Amino acid sequence: MSRAPYATTEMVDAVVIGTGAGGAPLTARLAEAGLSVVALEAGRSFKPNEHVADELAADIYWMEERLSGGNDPTAFGSNNSGMGVGGSTLHWGAFCPRPDPRDLQLKTMTGQGADWPVPHAELIAYVKEVEAFTGVSGPARYPWDDSRRYAYPPVPRNASAEAMARGCEALGITVADAPAALVSRDREQPHWGQRQACVNCGTCHQGCRNAAKTSMDTSYLPMAAAHGAEIRSQARVMSFEFDQHGRIDGVVYHQGGQEHRQRCRAVFLCAGGVESPRLLLNLGLANSSGQVGRNFMAHVATQVWGRFDDEMRMNRGYPSSLISEDMMRPADADCVGGYLMQSLGVLPVNLATGLARGAGMWGTRLQSILRNYNRMAGIGINGDCLPHPDNRLTLSDETDAFGHRKARIDFSYHANERAIDQHSRRVMTAIWEAAGAQDIFAVDRSAHTIGTCRMGDNGDEAVVDADGRSFDIANLWICDNSVFPSALAANPALTIMALSLRTADRFLASGR
Amino acid sequence: MIQPTFVFLHALGSSKREWELVCRHLGSAPCMALDLPGFGDRVDEGYADVTAMADDLADTIRRNGLTACILVGHSMGGKIATIVAARAAAGEIGLAGVLGVALVAASPPSPEPMDEERRAQMIGWVAGGSIGQDDAETFVEANTASPLPPELHDRAVADVRRSSREAWLGWLERGSLEDWSGQVGQISIPALIVAGSEDGDLNEDAQRRLNAPHYRHADIRVVDGAAHMIPYEQPEALTRALENYAASLAPSILPSGFVHVLSSDRVSRRTRAAMLERTRPVSDAGLPWSDAERATVQDLIAHILPEDVSAPDLAQRVEVAITQGSGDGWRFADLPPDPEAWRQGLLTLDALTGRFAALDHGTQADWLDRIAAGNDEATANAGPFSPEQMALWFQDVRAEVVRQWAALPSTMAAIGYDGFAVGGDGPRKQGYRRTGANDVEAWQTVREKIA
Repeated sequence: MSRAPYATTEMVDAVVIGTGAGGAPLTARLAEAGLSVVALEAGRSFKPNEHVADELAADIYWMEERLSGGNDPTAFGSNNSGMGVGGSTLHWGAFCPRPDPRDLQLKTMTGQGADWPVPHAELIAYVKEVEAFTGVSGPARYPWDDSRRYAYPPVPRNASAEAMARGCEALGITVADAPAALVSRDREQPHWGQRQACVNCGTCHQGCRNAAKTSMDTSYLPMAAAHGAEIRSQARVMSFEFDQHGRIDGVVYHQGGQEHRQRCRAVFLCAGGVESPRLLLNLGLANSSGQVGRNFMAHVATQVWGRFDDEMRMNRGYPSSLISEDMMRPADADCVGGYLMQSLGVLPVNLATGLARGAGMWGTRLQSILRNYNRMAGIGINGDCLPHPDNRLTLSDETDAFGHRKARIDFSYHANERAIDQHSRRVMTAIWEAAGAQDIFAVDRSAHTIGTCRMGDNGDEAVVDADGRSFDIANLWICDNSVFPSALAANPALTIMALSLRTADRFLASGR
Repeated sequence: MIQPTFVFLHALGSSKREWELVCRHLGSAPCMALDLPGFGDRVDEGYADVTAMADDLADTIRRNGLTACILVGHSMGGKIATIVAARAAAGEIGLAGVLGVALVAASPPSPEPMDEERRAQMIGWVAGGSIGQDDAETFVEANTASPLPPELHDRAVADVRRSSREAWLGWLERGSLEDWSGQVGQISIPALIVAGSEDGDLNEDAQRRLNAPHYRHADIRVVDGAAHMIPYEQPEALTRALENYAASLAPSILPSGFVHVLSSDRVSRRTRAAMLERTRPVSDAGLPWSDAERATVQDLIAHILPEDVSAPDLAQRVEVAITQGSGDGWRFADLPPDPEAWRQGLLTLDALTGRFAALDHGTQADWLDRIAAGNDEATANAGPFSPEQMALWFQDVRAEVVRQWAALPSTMAAIGYDGFAVGGDGPRKQGYRRTGANDVEAWQTVREKIA
């Protein structure tokens, strides 16, 4: 078999577009199985040490402009979109609760939302594999799942977590040290080297500088490369070429100011919940269902903040170091689904823009809160989101530097999201009052880009089948948060990585 | 009020003694005049090449823990100052306190223009060992516009004569010819460039061609009645220029404890460089907004951050971010691209209010409340933006202003934020050992004590 680097004229078994949580694990899996794989990444490659502990200077986000509409426009850029070898795992928060079985059966259980065509037990088996390969820190006993075990002890709680634990205890709400996709002890990562124990620096979102945090560039991608996969950075996919049977036989991309064509037998589109559908819509492909771009979902990510007499210095420590799953099915909320709560630790720019946008503040109050940065602490949620016909990604008339039309994403909360938002404000405000916070207020926020290339059993209602294969193009597979049929309350990255391994296995089992 | 320390570097064949008059005129401002290896009291050290002289200066800054300093380089010393300034701007450890560079008849980072006959003549002076009295006097007279007072003349001649032969030759045969222009690039630290009206090879024209392009901001001053030995010839005029320059740098001075941490091995080079970049002044030159637009933005800032209206160049930083930045990855679909949105937003604001900047603060505040509400029918059709668009735009304005403000090192210092100091470039990152409330680490409190 041939080995990397592959010639563009060589017919490789697979081209993977995107090297984040969706693309990296399957690249490794396919390469391990002996396939020739080329992964194309729009961003550049980084060494962990290069990351910058500064909110404006960090250069790991997808900063090309997207248009955000609807009644509750969601923010992109550093809020949820990565760029670079490793994709959004470069900047993700590493908060990694497992998907709740009820969330995968929302339609069956409530009549709303959508069911996943993937059994929970099967997904969890992959989740466990990802956890074992990447190393997760968490509590010795997980209150909402007695069977769960984590490889590493939890990282220390930050001041927000201590306050949240205090407030929750007073209200009878169960909390635990959060499962975090980082190692609290030094670890030798196969094919990469030493990942050092988390040092509580608090800059996960600016990129982990000692590789404690799970990131694709320090885990699955080195494994992929060790098995012969080739990762090409700063390679922007433009279009596909097809054979006479309607199968993709080449991927056209820009790299170094030149156009290249990589011949291939299969394509895995793993560019995320915005770029995957944007590429398909720009090319007019894989959309016989009319569902590409539809069912855009973002987590309800309301935050509640307050000022403490104590010196909190919330930037110190792993930010999301405490979790509560008690509100996964709140009895008195008048919503389907539910939400996870977590402690927060954000850096000054993030707090400032949150106040200015999500809390509608300016002037003396805003300034006084920011000047009290070291006494501020917050809690936040990740709440389920139902698909709605109004919430979708379409193409703007404006084009990007490569001539592709920009994405426009319309997003509005509807009754269910509003119910979750309202309930969580009440609960979190009560927690913060019980914890002794003063001047408590809420910040509106939504997070994550989910849906837009829905997975389903029926080609009239979904873009890909239960294996992740396009209903329209037999050798096109999609794997990232775009295929999620429903949002799940759990943060998406762990589930995406699990789906990625599963997609590879289904592809290998399919006889292609 | 922190006074920056002037760090003086002398010319070829000179010593720290050339700065005595300037330091006296500077009065209470802290001064540190250095002898470079091979000159003054350090003649025994012989030749140090340009790299070694730059290292020597950088080490001196570090050893003395200078958290606010201006490098003043005369002639040969100017090349060294520029090289160290470039290293400081690139985020080198221990140099976060370098605020400014004053070049006095300075040698550029590129090869110094020098008549080859004159170079050969000067090289010839040390053929027999040390420089003779006549040659030294020739040197001093060639570099002055009119004769120095006897005492200064004798001092200058004596310094030439005691120069180490190796150091003298090293500069003439190598140091002055080395081309550092590519490595130096363009430096974000603002410079004062002083030229003598009667100077030869390093006159104003040479300064404009060879030194100024290496600085993003360079203020060029010509001192009348001086040739090349300006510190001896016109110490009062030079002192005034230095004092004015130091005053212009005052807004970029950070609390010393903060700079101590920023300079330390807890901070990575990239992080330090990015933060220092934000301490540099921003010039209006080449920016597109009109004075009226700027005045309105300044008023908006006064409403958004009433206590920090004077944050260094905040309005200009916003203007740069909006008109030249790459954005933050998204914009409201109901607004045009950022530069156009700000144009139209400002236009609508003036159309709604008559002229926003002409209103008193309270009336302005009432308008902003109405605009933020976004549904004020009375404000419809006044300008290009609808009430809904104005509400979105005002949200963008608030977010951009606080984003630029919160990212300023002066803001971080004011709010006691040290989250940038969590890991240098060493094999192990420091992070935080303590994460709980009220459990502050010793290095965090050191910062406050020093400040």
